[in-house]
Amino acid sequence: MADGREQFLRTVRQALGRDQAATPPPKSGEADGESSIRDRASEIQREAEDNADALMSRLHEAATEAGWNVTRVASPAEAADHILRVVQDLEARSIVRSAHDVLDALALDEGMARAGVSMTLAAIGDMATEGQRQEQRASIRESCISADVGLTGVDHAIAETGSVVLLPRRGVSRLVSLLPPVHVAVVRRGQVLPGLDELFALQRLDHIEGDLGSYLNIITGPSRSADIEHTLVTGVHGPGEVHMVLLG
Amino acid sequence: MRPDTKNFKRGAAKALGNERIQANLLGLYNGFDRARLAAADGTPDWELMREQARAIKAHTIDNLDYYLELAASNVEKAGGTVFFAKDADAAAGYVTDLALARGVKLVIKGKSMVSEEMSLNERLTDAGIEPVETDLGEYIIQLAGETPYHIIAPAIHKSREEVTDLFEAKLNSPRYEEITELAAEARRQLRDKFIRADMGITGANFIVAETGTVALVTNEGNGRMCTSMPRIHVAITGMEKIIPSMDDLGIFLRLLIRSATGQRISSYVTTVTGPRHADDEDGPDEFHLVIVDNGRSRLLADPELRESLYCIRCGACLNACPVYRKVGGHAYGWVYPGPIGAIVTPVMTNLADAKDLPFASSLCGACREACPVKINIPRMLLHLRKEVTEGRKYPTERNRSVLEALAMRLWRLSLSSPAALSIANSVARVLQKPLLRKGRIRWLPPPLSGWTPSRTFPAFVRPFRQRWRG
Repeated sequence: MADGREQFLRTVRQALGRDQAATPPPKSGEADGESSIRDRASEIQREAEDNADALMSRLHEAATEAGWNVTRVASPAEAADHILRVVQDLEARSIVRSAHDVLDALALDEGMARAGVSMTLAAIGDMATEGQRQEQRASIRESCISADVGLTGVDHAIAETGSVVLLPRRGVSRLVSLLPPVHVAVVRRGQVLPGLDELFALQRLDHIEGDLGSYLNIITGPSRSADIEHTLVTGVHGPGEVHMVLLG
Repeated sequence: MRPDTKNFKRGAAKALGNERIQANLLGLYNGFDRARLAAADGTPDWELMREQARAIKAHTIDNLDYYLELAASNVEKAGGTVFFAKDADAAAGYVTDLALARGVKLVIKGKSMVSEEMSLNERLTDAGIEPVETDLGEYIIQLAGETPYHIIAPAIHKSREEVTDLFEAKLNSPRYEEITELAAEARRQLRDKFIRADMGITGANFIVAETGTVALVTNEGNGRMCTSMPRIHVAITGMEKIIPSMDDLGIFLRLLIRSATGQRISSYVTTVTGPRHADDEDGPDEFHLVIVDNGRSRLLADPELRESLYCIRCGACLNACPVYRKVGGHAYGWVYPGPIGAIVTPVMTNLADAKDLPFASSLCGACREACPVKINIPRMLLHLRKEVTEGRKYPTERNRSVLEALAMRLWRLSLSSPAALSIANSVARVLQKPLLRKGRIRWLPPPLSGWTPSRTFPAFVRPFRQRWRG
């Protein structure tokens, strides 16, 4: 189909009262050069480390308000115990998990096996050929469709809004935090950003480094709707129950 | 959606006479509007943010050609495809042809008001493709064969009993009494569609020009489903949704979400930049962005109306408007109801048909107060009223009759001096006699008849000065 791009842009230009494309003086942060984007990003990362404790407390409060079940634990062993308890309370039979490092460190396999819960790693093997990738992709999808619980780490958390942020990574399917009725997210100390602006500043760094992912998901509490009579219900399409484990 | 803007008064009367709809509309005020005020109070620098957002929008719209090209080139760099559609027909044609070319049988849709402009569901159905709305409100509306009542809460006029009836009739489901049960039924029904769909269609709340990123705000998770599950993702957007930089996204997300529902943030904010990368675990193989004009360039070309394109579609002006809250969403007759709809609908469709819409306001200014980007809606309503009567800019759509023009001239003449006023008053006191009932005029002949169907007119009496002098 013929793309009416030129005609479209000409119409816009005419509406604006000019016949030539004009380059406007930048208005907002778009003027920032690469070095200022880099400086800002490293400042944000430093502050996330320096203020890790205070940010963790603020996240705890905001996330609770947003409908997460929040638990703060001191060690990976405690985190593993807590997750196992959540899974048992739910009487879950199957868990699907992402390949985030923080989950590897929890060594959940043995505990889950003892509790009779099957845990599937939703990740494509590093050495997979294209044909194998297709097959594995289909099987990840099936696991996410049937699992009772989805377990992930996070890339960031946001204190302002009580959110976790998931970015595309090797071993992280978008579906683990979406399809199962329950999502458990593990947030490490140092991952908490103060607000949305800091998150998007880091995205800009990814952009100038050519690392901007194909998506970003900011997740805040359970799936909700108030479309019928303004009455809040949870778990409409995404998870209806969400747990946040704060580690450290 | 075919415009049906000629029947504002009839639609308004219908909503006013329906007690249940009045009760549901009150919920908008008690729910959304108060939540917005509380959220604004709880946001540091809210007023400053509004100013900044307005300035960013003004700059972007004044340089829209530049930002459109920038956004398009960055979407393409990220591996996506961009289509510029001059009108609804071209946009619907592109999406339908793409679906046919890719062998798509089932399409899942997130809430998109632009797709309503395009009557996209009808077009897809005609082509033998099944479109399924997945936002709970839109799903209800689609089952009922209706159009959205509100841009944020499309089914807000329906009671739970009506939804129960609808689900029983269309889905053969049991007679659920609880809203949680109705939502769970929708989840079950739609889960299967998400799994089987070949194409996901969403709107776009913002397009970030510097990265070619589309931002989507949802609460249910259907937006994430539409962008994650099918092999093709198509985002459809009006050309005004562009912001320059990622740096601007934080401000606009806060303003949009807090003005729309009063939440600090929605359950999900998803940004999409192109299709999935080769080493991503999953995601769509193809990403298409359809940028739609469909009459927006007419708003852009009129300096008096240009700021209507700053709108971020939060719905706050609907919830704040004492007229919308009484006459409801269907009376406006097209996709965008309420105060902002009363401006964009007449220009995007046809002013002569939609001539009542700019008058559906008391000009109280609540919309302007509520607007997160401070759009001066009352000023533009007045401008359009002037266009309706004088028709300088849209002469073919001039709407004032010769008789009305004559009446207005006589009116002006009678007010031009105390003597003229006194004479006019004496004449009126004689002429009104056959019309008087209990000291009020209850009916006026054409062309003045528009005054009296829903209210009475006070009688002309002897001026106070004359009575006082005895």
